[in-house]
Amino acid sequence: MAWEKFDPTLAVHDLVQDLKWDARLRQLFAQNEAAVLERYKLRPEERKAIEARDFRALYDMGMHPYLGGQLSRFIWGNDAGKGAIEATNKLVESLQGHDRDIPKAP
Amino acid sequence: MAEIVCAAAVPHAPALVGLYDRAPQDAREIITRSYRAVQQQIKQARPDVLIVFANDHLTNSRIRAYPDFLIAGAAEHRGPHEWFKPWIGCRDWQVPGEPLVAKALFRGMTRRKIRMNHADAPLHFDDNLSVPTVMMQLDEMALPVVPVLQNCTVPPYPDGPHCYAVGRALAEIIRDDLPPALRVGLLGSGGLSHEPGGARYYKIDEEFDRAFLDLCCQGDHGRLLKEMTAERMEIAGSGGTPELLAWFPVMAAIGECRGESFGYSGWVNFRCGFGAVLWDLRTQRKKAA
Repeated sequence: MAWEKFDPTLAVHDLVQDLKWDARLRQLFAQNEAAVLERYKLRPEERKAIEARDFRALYDMGMHPYLGGQLSRFIWGNDAGKGAIEATNKLVESLQGHDRDIPKAP
Repeated sequence: MAEIVCAAAVPHAPALVGLYDRAPQDAREIITRSYRAVQQQIKQARPDVLIVFANDHLTNSRIRAYPDFLIAGAAEHRGPHEWFKPWIGCRDWQVPGEPLVAKALFRGMTRRKIRMNHADAPLHFDDNLSVPTVMMQLDEMALPVVPVLQNCTVPPYPDGPHCYAVGRALAEIIRDDLPPALRVGLLGSGGLSHEPGGARYYKIDEEFDRAFLDLCCQGDHGRLLKEMTAERMEIAGSGGTPELLAWFPVMAAIGECRGESFGYSGWVNFRCGFGAVLWDLRTQRKKAA
């Protein structure tokens, strides 16, 4: 992460933190993601990157990677043995631009 | 005059619990041996309170209003927060808090010109406190805990010298402000190298980790501060490795002591290096660097 790009004003940070703290919002996100995104003052390119699962673009805009990791788990899964591994793999693939060097799931 | 009766530091990566059963045998042995050694020392030292410094991981505060240190002053702490349960894969736990010690810590830091925040209400805990608690069964010890949640990840976060100054103030507070004869245990929770959410999520810097553990065990704080800078930690894993700064207040509070480590694991699926240090307070050479 190049911290020189870090932008704490991005609305995606609030989205992730609210999802973490609010189980009902999480449920709505799973059922109707667009309706949840609508509630936040996301920049057009920010929203587009979320919808495209383009973490490289989000990080280049200044998203904090720790919250990026959490966003990936809202999308792909949060359980230790399966969903979180898939989320990590998809996230790394998006950031690297390829899926090489991703270890096999244990 | 209160006294420090034990001091240790351990990692808290969630996969240490959630993927423990799938880890190679040697990694499981190192994890078990490390947590057990610290657990036994805590039991033998019989602290009246355990002060734990740990990364907050953006779990309690907005990124736009993020405290560098947040003292958990509730009468009871519970975890993990519901969203983190499946991710960590650990059971529920609860430990007593120690509000008077939390307030004394806040008051003492403020008077010594160190900015901290204090919360009466219960805080959310993720792997930061949950993993050490369940791995060492801290919740079965009837041991009051005062967590100090630290900003190790939202820049600009407190660097090594700042965290070391926190530890020196902590030593003064324990000596001068806390109730006489109170027995205090100290625990740093975090590390080793990892880059959560980053492109190097699966990269572990074993060379850095082993050098860091060696320096902690040698108790050479001058070298520690010179070589293990926040910048160096960022190179070893951005946004994750700097949570080793939560070990600094512990080391500064006990002064230069020799420590013991119980092995190292860099199993990639933990997505974090593993190694713990237990300091021998009888070996203190000088108060602090």
